[in-house]
Amino acid sequence: MKLKSARKIILFVILLTGLAGIIAGIRFYNLRNKNLLKEKPDFTITAEELRKEFESDEIASTSKFVNKIVEVTGVVSSIDKGENNALNVTLTTGSSLSSIICTFSGNTDTSGLKAGQAVTLRGECSGFLMDVLLNNCVLISK
Amino acid sequence: MKRLFFLLIITGFFIQSYGQKYITKNGYIGFFSHTPVEDIKADNNQVASVLDISTGEIVFQVLIRSFRFEKALMEQHFNENYMESEKHPRATFTGKITNLPAVSFSSPGVYEVEVEGDLTIHGTVKKVKEKGAIGVAGESITASSKFSIDPEDYNIKIPNVVRNKIAKTIEITVIMKYSTSGNQ
Repeated sequence: MKLKSARKIILFVILLTGLAGIIAGIRFYNLRNKNLLKEKPDFTITAEELRKEFESDEIASTSKFVNKIVEVTGVVSSIDKGENNALNVTLTTGSSLSSIICTFSGNTDTSGLKAGQAVTLRGECSGFLMDVLLNNCVLISK
Repeated sequence: MKRLFFLLIITGFFIQSYGQKYITKNGYIGFFSHTPVEDIKADNNQVASVLDISTGEIVFQVLIRSFRFEKALMEQHFNENYMESEKHPRATFTGKITNLPAVSFSSPGVYEVEVEGDLTIHGTVKKVKEKGAIGVAGESITASSKFSIDPEDYNIKIPNVVRNKIAKTIEITVIMKYSTSGNQ
């Protein structure tokens, strides 16, 4: 009798652990991208400094900034509508060749943004193509 | 005299190429994978592209890291396991519109084009030939295309565990809005 109930308890614990594991797995699998308003930036930098860092050493800057949260301050040079409600905000960097291009996804509030405005925004750095590219951006202040 | 001739050619070249090149840094390339188990979709709104309307030459460049997924884990697997974006951070296409005379850049309309060139993904170069469209509306020129690629052709290995979640053929969508200044 005692042995039987002990067995039952063990079986129950195993089942419970398994179920918890499955739930955790599903939740992890469905995890969305981070909301950067709730994250601390890894770097706080001006648009010009960020461009200069990539220009002087692209390889070192790539390993330093890529996949990190970067908070950039700069002046908006253009705002372009992308596909699937994305919005690209380009920041001037004191160079006519390379800017900082910051992509906002559809569910971020960017109303009232216009060219010539000084802004601070936060994004995840994807690297350098012809410009420094930031994704998943959020507006911090304008 | 020789020098003057040379100078004339150079100047001519610059005059000719000036205003013929259309640029964007805010282009779009997305992909879509459909299987009965799961649909996977990613967007990249940071595509750089140059179209030379005098020669038909067209170039696209993207950072693999700029492809955004709905789920964080998909994005991580895409970068770390399949595309190895640290080793191969870019994908590029360099090619030419082969039926350029079919496009009239001075009259508004949508023109069907054929594009041929080298597509480099995951460090693997393949010759491709695809159909697309060029749209002309006043000063603005757009380019679009829909085509498919097989990840296997680019040595992208997909483990058996997720094989049923990722389609054998991936649909690619390209949408470019060009301008002469380059900031569009």
